[in-house]
Amino acid sequence: MSSNVTERISKIVRVVPRNRNTELFLLLFAFAINAFEIVQVQLSTLQNVNNDFWFYWGALSGAGLLLHLVLRLRAREADPLILPIAVALNGLGIAEIYRLDIAAIANHQTELFAEKQVIWTLVAMVLAGAVVMYIPSHLVLRRYVFLAGAVGVGLLLSPMLPFIGKTINGASLWLSIGGLTFQPGELAKIALTIFFAGYLVQRKDSLAMTGRTILGIQIPKARELGPILAIWVVSLLVLVVQHDLGTSLLFFGLFLVMIYTATGRAIYTVVGLGMFLTGALVASRAISYVTKRFDAWLNPFDDAHYNAIGGSYQLVQGLFGFAHGGLLGTGLGGGVPQLVPLAESDFIVASLAEELGLAGIFVIFTLYILLVARGLRIGFNHNDDFSKLLATGLSFVIALQVFIVIGGVTRLVPLTGLTTPLLAAGGSSLVANWIIIGLLLRISDTNRREVE
Amino acid sequence: MSELALFLLRIGLVAVLWIFVFSIISVIRSDLFGQKVAGKAAKQNATQVVSQAHIPNPPTGPVRVLQESSAPSSKLATKLVITDGENAGREIALDGRELHIGRAVNSDLVITDEYASTQHAKLVLINDEWLVQDLNSTNGTFLGGVRVGIPAVVKLNTPVKVGKTVFELRA
Repeated sequence: MSSNVTERISKIVRVVPRNRNTELFLLLFAFAINAFEIVQVQLSTLQNVNNDFWFYWGALSGAGLLLHLVLRLRAREADPLILPIAVALNGLGIAEIYRLDIAAIANHQTELFAEKQVIWTLVAMVLAGAVVMYIPSHLVLRRYVFLAGAVGVGLLLSPMLPFIGKTINGASLWLSIGGLTFQPGELAKIALTIFFAGYLVQRKDSLAMTGRTILGIQIPKARELGPILAIWVVSLLVLVVQHDLGTSLLFFGLFLVMIYTATGRAIYTVVGLGMFLTGALVASRAISYVTKRFDAWLNPFDDAHYNAIGGSYQLVQGLFGFAHGGLLGTGLGGGVPQLVPLAESDFIVASLAEELGLAGIFVIFTLYILLVARGLRIGFNHNDDFSKLLATGLSFVIALQVFIVIGGVTRLVPLTGLTTPLLAAGGSSLVANWIIIGLLLRISDTNRREVE
Repeated sequence: MSELALFLLRIGLVAVLWIFVFSIISVIRSDLFGQKVAGKAAKQNATQVVSQAHIPNPPTGPVRVLQESSAPSSKLATKLVITDGENAGREIALDGRELHIGRAVNSDLVITDEYASTQHAKLVLINDEWLVQDLNSTNGTFLGGVRVGIPAVVKLNTPVKVGKTVFELRA
């Protein structure tokens, strides 16, 4: 009896809730920043603060608090920084989209995004909470590796299906069922990360050890290259048939990162990148939409490209936005980001750069870096290869998306149609990225508890 | 809204965002450097809570007995004393629960040199004997100068080496 009591006491002493308290503090900080942003938007565009504030601020904050409670109950040892960072980014996105909506209403436009964004945020965060609640350990996912692979490829290719597949702005990325459109590729990236992690755990030794050495470089056996070829074909298929350079780059990049993490051999990355660049270059000459994107990227200020349909107009307007923002920005509600087409989704980074300036956009970059670094750290802390690969892969999905989108908007790489994780308007993207956040939280918790 | 107020809001938001970033970074910093003292103090308190009987996950399989002759059995051990390395002189009370050793911050004995693995080894009390089990560490655990393969019985006053740290069990 008495030993039972001391047992319980010792358990209480051993659980140091430091993580969760740190998280709560940072989370409240993020809520406060979010409130600041929305108040600023309302003050500078409407000149007063009205009751809409509670909707745009309360939903995210409520869901954030709920997720925090779920973590306290079910994942006490989870990483304390991931949730506040994700909430801060999501809040920044909501504030900017709300601000663009106000501008759209002033222009008598009917297509609004902010309300949908808030509702999708709620859905996405509830799903992330469900991931933490109902997946006892991410190692369970190992049982479904090949199922995940099949589901992933299926989702990726599903927009090619007749009737439910839908083409918007030239890219076939959407499924449309009963008026609801969804981008299946967003969920495919999670499924495929799980598949790559499981597959590479099995094959990493043969991928890493076999092959002969020629001129000091170890050349892998031909049959080990089979899967790489298969993934290459699928990603080029996405490029050619669905007209989406970004998704295709994302999947192939993800695969290369994970194969490099698993084997530590640079040859796969070099060969893979070479294959992708060759494919993309051929595509850039052969497929007209890719040619357009390349031309717009290389000579955006050229009149012919600037005025062409699907030319560089959007890109150049985005760059003007960056320039208008300067060092400290125009303040939320002070700029004219609505001049850029798709300012609320693809070009949210340009909108934020205009209104927060260089100083503000660097905050966003830093938050992404910290988020990805925490994810990689979670992988690093684990002892088993599956967890390492899964955490690395999930973090890199976020990192690659950020690189491809922001690189595209700032004209570092050709512009593609990916979404900025957690910031951009779009339900599928929010759902997928919050599920990634949920999985990372789950992985980090299992990691710290293993020892106890 | 006056221009000045809007200007202050504008600068204020960027400032607050940076404060947020730096408070996140300071958490990471304290994870890396600052937590050492607090963490160890907490762990020391935790290991001093006395409770017997309950042993989670006793290792199965063969047990090797080292140095069967001279040294007295470890059932009398009440504390772990660090004899060499960074924390030389520190003592940890043994209470019958298993004790984790490694670089992980939640280990009962945190060892912070680069020769130790995150989860390096653990001490477990089975049948009144303390066993040391190496947790697949990179550089190994040495009991009386011999690398520990299968879990081995730790006799009193026998040096156990993990990374650069050496400790003994004492009565």
